[in-house]
Amino acid sequence: MKTQRILSAIIGITQAVIGLFSGVSAILLGLHIIEIKEVLTSPPEFLVIYILIIGLFSLFSIINALFLIREWRG
Amino acid sequence: MLLGNEKKLGLFSAVINGLGGAIGFEIFVLLNYAYFDLAGPSMISALFFCGIINLVTMLSYSELSAALPEVGGEYTYTKVAFGGFISFMSGCLRWLASIFGGALATLVFVDQLGVLFSVFAPSIQDLVLANTALLIIGLVIMLIILAIRGIEEATTLVVGAFLAIFLIFLFTSIGYSLTPQNVIPEVSPNSLVVFFATTAYLFPMFVGMRALIASAPQIKNPGKNVPRALLITTVVLTVVYFAVAYVSVGVIPSDIPRTAADPPLLNLAASTILGPIGAILFAIAGIFASVSSVGTAMSVQASILGGMSRDGYLPKLLEKAHRKFGTRYIAIIASSLFVVFFGTSGAVVFLGYAASFGSLLVFAIVNFSLIQLRRKQPRLERPFKAPLYPFTPIAGVVMSVLLLTFPILLGDVNAGSALISSLGMIAIVLVTYYLRMVKREVDFNRIRVAVGGICFGAGVSLIIISFIIIPNSLKIITILFGFASTVAGFFNILGSTRKID
Repeated sequence: MKTQRILSAIIGITQAVIGLFSGVSAILLGLHIIEIKEVLTSPPEFLVIYILIIGLFSLFSIINALFLIREWRG
Repeated sequence: MLLGNEKKLGLFSAVINGLGGAIGFEIFVLLNYAYFDLAGPSMISALFFCGIINLVTMLSYSELSAALPEVGGEYTYTKVAFGGFISFMSGCLRWLASIFGGALATLVFVDQLGVLFSVFAPSIQDLVLANTALLIIGLVIMLIILAIRGIEEATTLVVGAFLAIFLIFLFTSIGYSLTPQNVIPEVSPNSLVVFFATTAYLFPMFVGMRALIASAPQIKNPGKNVPRALLITTVVLTVVYFAVAYVSVGVIPSDIPRTAADPPLLNLAASTILGPIGAILFAIAGIFASVSSVGTAMSVQASILGGMSRDGYLPKLLEKAHRKFGTRYIAIIASSLFVVFFGTSGAVVFLGYAASFGSLLVFAIVNFSLIQLRRKQPRLERPFKAPLYPFTPIAGVVMSVLLLTFPILLGDVNAGSALISSLGMIAIVLVTYYLRMVKREVDFNRIRVAVGGICFGAGVSLIIISFIIIPNSLKIITILFGFASTVAGFFNILGSTRKID
């Protein structure tokens, strides 16, 4: 049980970091600080869809991570 | 928008409110793509068809607003008819449509500023277009301050100025030989798909007249005046839009060579008919319209978030009013961040479709609410009844759903993105609703399983996509992300399934 809690903590924190990283990437793409053509070799028309997919991934990752962190903290 | 500000408006003021909400920035931006990239001259017929669809749903709105003249509009109707999740979803969709509309308005502001400078100094126009994001952020910050301070707009003045400009434009065009060809779409499957897709794209030009519904509690004798005002506004709008589009299409051929820096259709037509004065007049009108629309959108968004917060669907923080000005400042700032985010994306066509899809979904829900209320509360006092029931609300639902479908059938990538975004937002709404409203541990664990499942699926998809489309430089990172997401999702499913059992 203790091992599972430790694993939950590690995975939860990793997932939270991934979620935050994805969220920041979506914002940077949205503000054109990083260009979609350079990162994903995709035409600019797909920018919004990429931002939304990355944003959704970020949101669900953070929620998922919070569940795991909650379990770890008891 | 001050809380608790009660007034009594007559029929004329109600019509002005409806026109004030609808006549705005949309005409400067939506006609452009619809004419040059979608339907060509048959765009005029699509506008007329928009008017008819709007009128059908407005009949449902009229019955509901006369029977339930409380604050809240669509959100209140769905709350009384269905309650719970549906009303929460309609509130969120309305909020989203307003966010997309507000973001589109910020882009029109920059575009029209560029058009204005193109008359005096083309070099400044380039500077304006190169700093779109900065200008949008500046505009939104300025409007946040005004919205928090509760500055009211001079709606009557704005509507009067717009109608005057349009009338000058129409009267001056009498001297021109207008030759719009192919105004009626051809009867072939492809041209009909294009026609309906254009109708969907142009639809936001009409939906702003719901402002009239928002002001229903302040209108004298709402049972009579609200339906009348809705009908008068729809007819006036359809006639004005139809006439302006007819003249624009008549003077500007759809096959002229164009570049990204060229002014939109309406500005082009104005400068052709009225010369430089027309170009300046319409650019100034476009700037005022867009600024006014962003301001209105902020007030609407704050009002929706505040209402849902009051009902416990969203954190109480969003309902918090400013100590000095009495406005919901946290809701205003929160919504404005979304407006800036989407506005700086610069995706005009996507935002046009997204605003339209959000509104069409709300229209479908409102029509369903009418049917539900007739069944659930047959004795509710209804000062106005939608004629030809149940065909009117059913027609409203069918037309809304058809308009959502045709742009996708056309294969317009912007429409596809807008629909996926809307569905994605509905997914977020679903999760938010259950996270906020579900209290029992067993339900909490079900949500955990659901979110875990989403992350598990997203992780597996990400690993597969990494091998197919992600460039080599990013492949290892995305595979690791996918793997971590899959494991985290699996852990949540494992941890909570036991507790449900």
